[in-house]
Amino acid sequence: MAIIPATTDLTRPYWENARDGRLVTQRCNDCRQIWHPPLPACPHCHSTDIGWHQVSGTGTVYTYTVVRHATHAALADHIPYVIAIVELTEGPRIVAGITGCEPADVRAGMEVQVRFESVTDEVALPYFEPAQAS
Amino acid sequence: MIRREVAIVGIGQTAYAKALPGTAWELAIEAILAALGDAGIDPEDVDGMCRFAPPFETVSEPQLVRALGIRELTFFAESPLGGEALGAVVAHAAAAVKAGLARTVVVYRALSQSKGGRFGRADGRGPGGGGQSVPDPSAHVFVPEEDNRSFAWPYGLMSPGQLFALWARRYAIVHGLTDEDLTHALGAIAISQRQYANGNPNAMMRDRKMDAEDYRNARMISEPLRLFDLCLENDGACAYVVTSADIARTLRDDPVYLLSATQTISPYREPMGIYVAGELLELFPAATAARLFADAGVSRKEIDVAEFYDATSYMPLRSLESYGFVPDGQAWRYVTETGTGPDSPLPVNTHGGHLSEAYLHGMNGVLEAVRQLRGTAANQVADAETALVGAPAGSAMILAR
Repeated sequence: MAIIPATTDLTRPYWENARDGRLVTQRCNDCRQIWHPPLPACPHCHSTDIGWHQVSGTGTVYTYTVVRHATHAALADHIPYVIAIVELTEGPRIVAGITGCEPADVRAGMEVQVRFESVTDEVALPYFEPAQAS
Repeated sequence: MIRREVAIVGIGQTAYAKALPGTAWELAIEAILAALGDAGIDPEDVDGMCRFAPPFETVSEPQLVRALGIRELTFFAESPLGGEALGAVVAHAAAAVKAGLARTVVVYRALSQSKGGRFGRADGRGPGGGGQSVPDPSAHVFVPEEDNRSFAWPYGLMSPGQLFALWARRYAIVHGLTDEDLTHALGAIAISQRQYANGNPNAMMRDRKMDAEDYRNARMISEPLRLFDLCLENDGACAYVVTSADIARTLRDDPVYLLSATQTISPYREPMGIYVAGELLELFPAATAARLFADAGVSRKEIDVAEFYDATSYMPLRSLESYGFVPDGQAWRYVTETGTGPDSPLPVNTHGGHLSEAYLHGMNGVLEAVRQLRGTAANQVADAETALVGAPAGSAMILAR
């Protein structure tokens, strides 16, 4: 059992890259800005010439919550779990779960790195875990 | 400019309860007839209707027209986005009256969470799920293809309460609050509103006292929000009637005038404010707050009472800052030191709010503001002349007697 994202023509490259282990955002081929989640046109220069850009997969925890009450039957076996907004090193923010540490150990500003979790044969979700000390 | 050209001449509501026998349709009719009765207007003379859009509103206009015996509905409009419709529906009603598209506009909100699904659920027991089906826990869940939910739901970010938990945590991060500071501040809001509810015969929590210990001992739902930081889930309906100031004065000697109303969409929705371009904490855009007060021709100091949309306790806290009553980053101290109770400079959510009266998408806050300005509120603020009713994301109104 998993919660499966809806894929549209607009968002398909994001999910296909995630399935293949790459975290990508849209990037404007004219003004080179990046953003997330996907849009039909560049919000900065309004170009519709938009490509995809692999980001580093590193970032910091912008905010987070430890969920202790399941709002969906599908989550009943998962609580407690952590939802975070991660600010990517490249700038855009992304909603994701935090794994690889106890929920109580998640901190604002914590450095994290992406890891992909397969939820079906076709779908993988980017999660984040504490960055390994280099 | 709307200022004092239209007025609210009638208010009506049903009882509020965890479950009421009627459907949303029956509740809507009960509240609307009560509001029209309060205004002294024959239901068949209604010619305008402004309301929240589906999926929040489940009753159709034709159902209402037939049940009310309306001769000809010449203007009707719907506003999307849940609580953010609160300022929009009154703005539309006022615009219709001022433009001559309608003379007597009903604004209402009817909610049957017991039959139609609970807002705190995202599965078959949630809105649109019919309140019936309990999903097969082994089956995959497919995210609906709207508002970028696919970038949030797979991680279990599925309810407004969780979103506001993220906001409240961000507030603590930005302003350097400890967990204890934040608990203390959110608890001050929740307890103040409960005390108001204890004095309000209509409030669902009328007989339920709550002290700081009760608040802290309640279970954690989505950290840092505990059970009593979250709004009630209930059945009920609220309605009010808008007409021109000239007609209003022929109907009653205490009409409540609309001074200003705002609606905006800022680039921070989809879903519900997560993918904000700037700081996540921008609950109500500063430029819109400035417009709200400028259009009304009043200052912050002239507001005698505020009814803030409170899906969670965090929202009134941040609203004090967003609307410009308290400087950014200081509301958490303000609510614990000055407070929002009956003797404070700005009483907030004097009916108990969504936390302790009932949840009606902000409409019960409008009714409370009208009662305050008529001088008939259960927790009456002495000599209240001007009231602000505020929802998130630029949706608000200022009313005056």
